[in-house]
Amino acid sequence: MIVDWFDTNLVSILNGFAIGSLLFILAVGLSIVFGMMDVLNLAHGALYLAGAYLGYQFAGDTSSWLGFGTALGAAALVGLLAGGVLSTMTEPLARRPHLDQALLTLGVALVVAELLAISYGNDVLRVNAPPGLDESVQVFGRTYPAYRLALIGVGLMIAIAVYAVVERTTIGALVRASVADRDMVSALGVDNRKVKLAVLGAGSALAAVAGVLGGPIYGAAPGLDETVLILALVVVVIGGLGSIKGAFIGALVIGQVESLGRALVPDLASFMLFGALALVLIVRPRGLFGAKAAG
Amino acid sequence: MSHFPSRRMSRRRVLGLLGAGGVVVAGSAACGGGSLGGDDDEPATGGGEGGGTVKVGLVIPQAGVYTPLGVDMLNGWELFLEQNDGMLGGYVVETVIADEGEGPDTGVPAIQGALQNDQVDVLVGIVNSATALGAADAVSEAQKVLVIANAGAAAITGEAASPYIWRSSFVNAQVVVPLAEYLAANDISPVYVMAPDYAAGQEVVDGFTTAFVAAGGTVAGQALTPFGTTQDFQPFLSPIRDSGAVATFVFFAGGEAVSYVQQYAAFGLAETIPLYGSGFLTEGGVLGGQGEAAIGVRTSLHYSTEIDNENNAAFVEAYQAAYDALPTCYAVQTYDAANVLNRALAEAADLSGDAISDALGALGEIEDSPRGPWSFNGQTPEQTFYLREVVEGEGGLINSVVEDLGVFTQP
Repeated sequence: MIVDWFDTNLVSILNGFAIGSLLFILAVGLSIVFGMMDVLNLAHGALYLAGAYLGYQFAGDTSSWLGFGTALGAAALVGLLAGGVLSTMTEPLARRPHLDQALLTLGVALVVAELLAISYGNDVLRVNAPPGLDESVQVFGRTYPAYRLALIGVGLMIAIAVYAVVERTTIGALVRASVADRDMVSALGVDNRKVKLAVLGAGSALAAVAGVLGGPIYGAAPGLDETVLILALVVVVIGGLGSIKGAFIGALVIGQVESLGRALVPDLASFMLFGALALVLIVRPRGLFGAKAAG
Repeated sequence: MSHFPSRRMSRRRVLGLLGAGGVVVAGSAACGGGSLGGDDDEPATGGGEGGGTVKVGLVIPQAGVYTPLGVDMLNGWELFLEQNDGMLGGYVVETVIADEGEGPDTGVPAIQGALQNDQVDVLVGIVNSATALGAADAVSEAQKVLVIANAGAAAITGEAASPYIWRSSFVNAQVVVPLAEYLAANDISPVYVMAPDYAAGQEVVDGFTTAFVAAGGTVAGQALTPFGTTQDFQPFLSPIRDSGAVATFVFFAGGEAVSYVQQYAAFGLAETIPLYGSGFLTEGGVLGGQGEAAIGVRTSLHYSTEIDNENNAAFVEAYQAAYDALPTCYAVQTYDAANVLNRALAEAADLSGDAISDALGALGEIEDSPRGPWSFNGQTPEQTFYLREVVEGEGGLINSVVEDLGVFTQP
């Protein structure tokens, strides 16, 4: 009975992990930036979209490791730079309400999305998976795209890397200290703005890299930025602000909700994502791993 | 708020057109006079011997997900005017572009603006059915003719029909009934049915299922996917394999069509359970995004670039020369809207909605359309449908014509 159930739903479960991996790479930056630096960055989705178009630029015509690798490198670089610009732009708004930041970053997001639409047109563009991964493989007798299997591995590696940096290094300690008490860190003589610059840069780079990695699944198209931004925000709210573990678990939960949940109860598919969000907000308003609200 | 950008857009677009080659003659004096003195002083300008100007509001999406369709529609419109010296039925055409946007919240005000502020004589365009239905009252009250060049809701020329609203495109269910009958006749059954969960998807699923079952087919299962928010179709693909279906029928368009066709192939379904669909699944820009995954997908539609007739060959050649792209059904529908207006304006006594509407009703067969001959029946085309299959052509993927499915009217 249970074996049958697994057999039927194995592909959905596997797929939930693949989507969850991608969501983690996308959302972890948003979570840290918002949780730590108190910057609500609504341009996060636009960075993903920029990454997706870089994927098309370098890996749109043919399937090659060089093209895909170049796209990943370019996305990381563009993300870093964009994060720096965003950090500078939001600096004057640091002491103002979140709404001001939201408006500024939303404006940036709209401008970036429009510029991308002007340069690349409004059609859905394709990003090719690298050779070897652009085929389907048999998993327990079911056909499954090899690229999505690889994505699960990449997501895990990035999760471990981010966790190691934040939990095991001095820089990470600084980041965690800033999440806990920003003013105290500042009083110790650390320039908050530099920490913010670094964190926003790294978070934005991850978002753009997620755009390239998501390319072979979702392609590159106008409107994708809003879709992924909403998913990332849901992941962050469910996981809890500023928590890597939270972003990881949140992403896996949403991955399964979007995949296994939809397969099991297709009639509730539209409702399920926000249903899960509502449930978490009622039971644990700070998210599954959210820190206690400071002050 | 939504009104302002649409006005600016239209002005910029009109200026661009002026500069580009004089399709549009924007004369403030000419159109100002027409509304007051023109009707009384001048005798009826039927067939207008080069005297009159007709002001056409072209309602097309210039922002949002339907923008590629808007581009094709504008191309089709401009191509017809270019081939006819910028005239329709003896009138010099002044085109005012109104930005339809994505939905009725932007589309309806744009149409009202074209009617009230720009005082257009005729409206052409509209991609979104909800926008078309939302604007129906305003159009009827203004007593102006609207030729819908895409929106396929049955109600537009069905229960919400107005003597002023005509359609040069298709009805949602009309597109898939020929395919349903073809599948049933060829014993391709049971079939799994899937579409996005919104009005058009529902109409297509109902139309297909009714015709398919009536012709002796069996439906193996059905799924409606959340519209606009489904990027990953895997959860809906697994049940197809377990349902025992020998074919899948779907209705998807735009970004969803790209994701669906790619994932249908990636999860190994394309090899064992052939994919059939409403023609929009593989029409226009989406084919490039789908790539090799689309090869072998079969659809029904009232147009393909590969239809073998002289008019189509000339049309495809002219279109490619002008825009460096293959035409789509969206371009043809708008090209044909211009074609029927050209004929009707030549016959109509004046530019009033009633006169143009009467003339449209008396047109008979449109024998020179790229899609093949068609005629109005219930103010919407009675036309031939084609079974198409995606194959690798010389310049990329094309929808080859497999078979002529016959002439169909709106169900």
